[in-house]
Amino acid sequence: MTMLPKGLEKQLNILDFSLSSLWRRKLKNISIMLVFALVIFLLGSFQMLTGALTKSADAVLRNTPEITIQKMSAGRQEAIPLSYEEKLRSIYGIRAIIPRVWGYYFDESSLANFTILAMDTNSMPSGNKLDLTLSYGHFPKLTEPGTAVLGRSVQEILGLGKRRIFSLFRPDLSLKSFKVVGLFSGQTDLMTNDLIVMNLDDARDLFAMSPTMATDLCLYVANPAEIETIAKKIAGLLPDTRVLTKSQIQKTYQVVFSWRSGFASICLLTALVAFVILAWDKASGLSPEEKREIGILKILGWETADILAIRFWESTLISSLAFIIGCTAAYMHVAFFDASLLKPVMVGWSVIHPPFKLLPSVKLADLLLIFSFSVLPYLGATVIPAWRCSIVPPDSVIR
Amino acid sequence: MRPSHILLIIILFFLILDAALYLHATRLQETLRSDHAVQEIAVAGLGLTDLCVATEARYTRHPAVSDTMSPFMDHPGAIEHFPSGSFWAAPADKNIR
Repeated sequence: MTMLPKGLEKQLNILDFSLSSLWRRKLKNISIMLVFALVIFLLGSFQMLTGALTKSADAVLRNTPEITIQKMSAGRQEAIPLSYEEKLRSIYGIRAIIPRVWGYYFDESSLANFTILAMDTNSMPSGNKLDLTLSYGHFPKLTEPGTAVLGRSVQEILGLGKRRIFSLFRPDLSLKSFKVVGLFSGQTDLMTNDLIVMNLDDARDLFAMSPTMATDLCLYVANPAEIETIAKKIAGLLPDTRVLTKSQIQKTYQVVFSWRSGFASICLLTALVAFVILAWDKASGLSPEEKREIGILKILGWETADILAIRFWESTLISSLAFIIGCTAAYMHVAFFDASLLKPVMVGWSVIHPPFKLLPSVKLADLLLIFSFSVLPYLGATVIPAWRCSIVPPDSVIR
Repeated sequence: MRPSHILLIIILFFLILDAALYLHATRLQETLRSDHAVQEIAVAGLGLTDLCVATEARYTRHPAVSDTMSPFMDHPGAIEHFPSGSFWAAPADKNIR
């Protein structure tokens, strides 16, 4: 220790003194630190989870359909007639128009919502590579009516096990049977967990939809730079439709989980503010005992700066340790425990709980934001009262 | 042992733990990169538009393509009532109907 410069030695001694004085009131200090860590943990988990989802969406949704056309009626989406395809042929620059039939199937026995999706996959981009997304089997061929590919949760919830045949109800409650010809691999869970992919005719039969209708039309254009222009032309040509472009779809996920969005983040921020108030209340009101201690230290010859240093060390230690514990726990919560505390809020009443294989997003900006919201106010709340106390004459405090 | 030495041990513990987590993150990133490649094929081949996170309501299963009325679709004056709706913001694009 003799090797240490004098200033550092002094700070080390003050640090020792602060640690022992923290330890003397260990119950109070440890409980404040744990509550503090919990608030940081919740905020951190929320940020890491939503950041990871946003990042995944950004990475994966680059290949969404360039233009999607939905027919609107009375503010709601409804089936689009295939005759609209003919009208679209007059627009120059459209490379392919692919009708899709898709919708939701509510399974009464398990209360799960499945997504049914049907289209001619051969005409889609990368359609020939689609079998790579399966853990076994192949996609339904046009020559194989009554076949389907399932997402992993669908297979699990239907309780198929080794069986290959399952049935779904048509709207008139008659049964339609399907043969499973493939299962999506775990790698695509984030996109395909609740999917049942089938042939167009089967989906129309299941939903009792007319053969001249589809749910929406996917459009691909010859020159990607013209997407917006062509979308505008379509909106003019088919005024009863909603035209969604690729960039709009991608933008959705940039805002869907952002800081300023979502009721949940408001609740978390409220918890943080409540903690700041609690910390202010606990830390700022010096007890008479603490005031006496400061007075005695001053009589023993300590300077105001030294007393402030003690308080600074104390609150820095509590808040920084809480910050480190909270952030580390948040990472582990999202990475190893599937964000299991936030997931119930995020998925609500969903019966299908896709496994989140996500890389928690640790961004410096988020950490700094949490740091400045939590550690800095706590420092202020403890150092200022100590300064106010240490500038009064010591004899008036200890008397 | 001085109290500051105990603190040093605690800080070292967290440093090692966080370094291990960093290594974990880099390895997970590699796995996810190969997963993303497969997911991109699924997205392109099936024209997928959304992440399968919440399946309870169509506006949280497919926020990108559901109409903006769908959270309030049940009856005139209905309020949005699915729990996941509190987590998900509506798309900001004002041009879409």
